[in-house]
Amino acid sequence: MEETAKNTTEISDLATLKTFLAEEDNAQNVVYMSPISEICHDYPCILGIDEAGRGPVLGPMVYGTAFIPINEQTLLETLECADSKALNEEKRDQIFEKICQNQLKIGWGVEVIAPTSICNSMLSRSKYSLNQVSMDSAVGLIRAALERQVNVKHVFVDTVGKPEKYQVYLKSLFPKLDITVAKKADSTYPVVSAASICAKVVRDHALKVWDFRENVDVKEFGSGYPGDPVTKKFLVSHCDPVFGYPQLVRFSWSTTANALENTAYQVDWEEADNTEDGMSKTPSITAFFKMTNQKQARKRHDFFTQRCLTNNVDF
Amino acid sequence: MAIHIHYAKNNIEANLKNSKVQSVPFRIHADCDAPIKSYFEPYVKTNDQEVLTASFRGYPLRGKNIEVPQGYVGVVLHESIKPSTDKDERKFYVVNRFKEMTYWNWDKIPSKNDPFIKAFDWIDIAEALHSPVDEE
Repeated sequence: MEETAKNTTEISDLATLKTFLAEEDNAQNVVYMSPISEICHDYPCILGIDEAGRGPVLGPMVYGTAFIPINEQTLLETLECADSKALNEEKRDQIFEKICQNQLKIGWGVEVIAPTSICNSMLSRSKYSLNQVSMDSAVGLIRAALERQVNVKHVFVDTVGKPEKYQVYLKSLFPKLDITVAKKADSTYPVVSAASICAKVVRDHALKVWDFRENVDVKEFGSGYPGDPVTKKFLVSHCDPVFGYPQLVRFSWSTTANALENTAYQVDWEEADNTEDGMSKTPSITAFFKMTNQKQARKRHDFFTQRCLTNNVDF
Repeated sequence: MAIHIHYAKNNIEANLKNSKVQSVPFRIHADCDAPIKSYFEPYVKTNDQEVLTASFRGYPLRGKNIEVPQGYVGVVLHESIKPSTDKDERKFYVVNRFKEMTYWNWDKIPSKNDPFIKAFDWIDIAEALHSPVDEE
């Protein structure tokens, strides 16, 4: 419990959320949670999970969760937690405020996954995929709720990839909980809509207060979807030939890679795995029986080859 | 082919600023100034074990500061005329010096497994091998 508490901040209204988002290190992941009311400890709850900003080429991906006692769930409909895609930004902010005002009944939590963190994962040596990042975040939010003694009974998750596989995976981690993983859970289950609204609100505001440490003067960067002309213009006009883009941009997206190919210097990385070369150098067993008169060239001691040291009299 | 390195001794010892040198695990096909102060340094973090983290074009980097061994000085050389054949004489000028550098790996904490870090062993061994022997 201590460990998650370290980077989790408690938030009880939109204004405080905005302040924290503005001050946070935007290259690092952070978790925000509402205060947890007594009734969420005492009565069995449903918990919804959804994400915002998975597809865009820039900004954080935000995972959201919302939970409410089963016998209070009609409140979600009263607060108009329906299909979040049908709501505009202003409406989402209003609903989020209402969720916060009802914190004696509803709880919520979000994880802001920084764009730097997303591409560092996807471009790590062990290839940590976006799907895995997403699932781990969802699991983290369920755990965070459980650690805070939320009496979770049934979890509803908007799927990443195949719902059946994901459901089995979650069930294996949380055998005591009922798990429902579905496509478009956001428009089917109000508790997932509530989670989705929290995630979207946090992403919107995180982008609004984005602090460019790169000292670039950016007026607008659009929605981040590759088809958005404002985003396209941003990618064209803010490319540094060496570093590529400010770290708001997700380098692991093909849109980014393609744009960099045309406008930035080429960069070559070491191979992910170069142990195979060493294997092929092993001589075949028959080689030992061949008669050869040639003397082998004197090999440098391993001490030098392992350190890439050579004699360089002439430079 | 001969190589000449030009420097004024006083320069190295007194006048040159300490350069910030970073060894990176990739090759940029360019030779130019880069806005390191705004694009790279603001994201460099140090964790408890003195391991540095940073990001370049989305790739995670892990680094360590390495001091130039005692009795040695790091120098930055500049060649203004590129040779056209490999038999040409080459002239390098000392343009800067450094006492410390940052060595970066791609998503791997720098350790004795890295040839670059291992190479420093040679300094101690060379010292042992080549220092005059006192016969007493």
